[in-house]
Amino acid sequence: MSLSSERLAATAAGFLAAAVLAVLYAPVVIGALFSVIEVTRNGINWGGFSLAWYGKLWQNQSILDAVRTTLIVSACSVSLAIVLSIALALYVEWEGAIGRRLIELVVYLPFLLPPIVTGLSLLIFFANLGISRGVATIVIGHSVFVLAVLYRLVLTRLQSLPATLFEASADLGATRWQTLRHVLWPQLRSAVATGAILAFTLSFDETLISVFLAGDATTLPLRLWAMMRVGFTPEINALVTLVLLFSIALAIIVSLRMKPEGEMEE
Amino acid sequence: MNSLPARLAVFALVAAGPLLFVVAPIGSFLVMSFARVEGHQIINDMTLDNYVAFFGNWVYLKTFLLTLWLCAEVTLIGIVLGYPIAWFIWRRRARTRYLLLLLFVLPLFMSYIVKIYTMRSILGLNGFLNQILVGSGILSAPSLVFLYNQGSILITMAVIFLPFVILPIFLSLERIPRNLVQASADLGAGAGTTFRHVVLPLSLPGTIAGGLFAFVLALGDFITPQMVGGPSGFTIGRVIWSQFGLAYNWPFGAAMGAVLFLFALAVIVVAGSIASRQRV
Repeated sequence: MSLSSERLAATAAGFLAAAVLAVLYAPVVIGALFSVIEVTRNGINWGGFSLAWYGKLWQNQSILDAVRTTLIVSACSVSLAIVLSIALALYVEWEGAIGRRLIELVVYLPFLLPPIVTGLSLLIFFANLGISRGVATIVIGHSVFVLAVLYRLVLTRLQSLPATLFEASADLGATRWQTLRHVLWPQLRSAVATGAILAFTLSFDETLISVFLAGDATTLPLRLWAMMRVGFTPEINALVTLVLLFSIALAIIVSLRMKPEGEMEE
Repeated sequence: MNSLPARLAVFALVAAGPLLFVVAPIGSFLVMSFARVEGHQIINDMTLDNYVAFFGNWVYLKTFLLTLWLCAEVTLIGIVLGYPIAWFIWRRRARTRYLLLLLFVLPLFMSYIVKIYTMRSILGLNGFLNQILVGSGILSAPSLVFLYNQGSILITMAVIFLPFVILPIFLSLERIPRNLVQASADLGAGAGTTFRHVVLPLSLPGTIAGGLFAFVLALGDFITPQMVGGPSGFTIGRVIWSQFGLAYNWPFGAAMGAVLFLFALAVIVVAGSIASRQRV
């Protein structure tokens, strides 16, 4: 009796999952569809399949510039966050006595708070210091935002390593730097790589902080937002589809890397 | 490395980045909230005017309260839809489980701006929703009710933030040892009893975390209201954003930001303490 009611619940949840999946993907599929199919005032012209908009994309200089800026911002902010997250995680693990809770709170805060708070606080901070807005300020904003992700992954990996690893290294006369370079780094590398890809996708799509810090610089999401106010062309749908494919590829890489780890924890 | 000054020096070195770019900016925006604008000059004479203007003006206060209500609705929809889905994924065999999870989490990695835009085109006058409803005869003519109001903000946010709710719930379900469920069944508990007394309590921390994500994300969002909310769909985030754009009143924007900041902080702390108490 109760087994069948459980099966009933599972079937209902399955239908719900299918329906929600359709709703979640509808925006994406429709956008991708419009990039290859002509939409006119009278409706959708299914015969008008064409990849022409993908070609036109490469002639739009403002979009190419925005893509380049976004890639630069993401690469810089992820690199900064990697260095900082390793330093913080090592500090917390080795010297954690002073201020561990404080550091963790500060690291997680920009990730947990609404992005608008991070954005406007950095905006006012930079304005007070007389620093003009641009690519560098976006990089800082993104760095503090993605730091939490990298820190979490690096710290988890660091804590999973046996203490005997460091002890053996120290007993053999290695300095801390040598231990870091030859013992820890090979162990941390894959966690850092996973975190870096994850952080990259977050930074690549980040909009709500960038809006406050961009000044004259334009990242891709900001460019898209500006274009949406005047209306979209199929060209944008083409771009968006490419961006989606790119981020899906990154997400799949992350999930393939994360899965075995999760199983190991069991 | 063991003397106190040396350890303090290491701490200062490591903590410099976060302190400089997280704590100092929050401090400077809180200070800004006590300033005022005169002409194009920002003068800081530690006035409470901005807070008086916010709490004394029903229009702003109402927007804030309506935003909180909106966030609560987004959170509720997220949990009501997200929990059964996370549970469904969790019950699959290992191979389909991760594939399903990936499918539900992938939308997180898709452009946020684009999702809002396509939601707008789905809900609009010539959008998919109207075409389907008119085509199937439910509506006689395309309706405007789906776009440019509070309801369209709610629908869009619910769609965009749902994966943020599913993931933590799934992760907390995944942490439940399978033999615990088995033991409960062996002791004669039915599926419903096991769910109520074993699965549900143990997955509560993840549920709270997921709800928290949805709530906080909805709280600060200003692009969704601007894109699908139309002239009537104002949230506190959109009002704050306008102070840094057209309205150009940074101190007032900072004051409203401070209210938002303190409220979000309180929600995070309360949710965190409930979740950690459950974990015991």
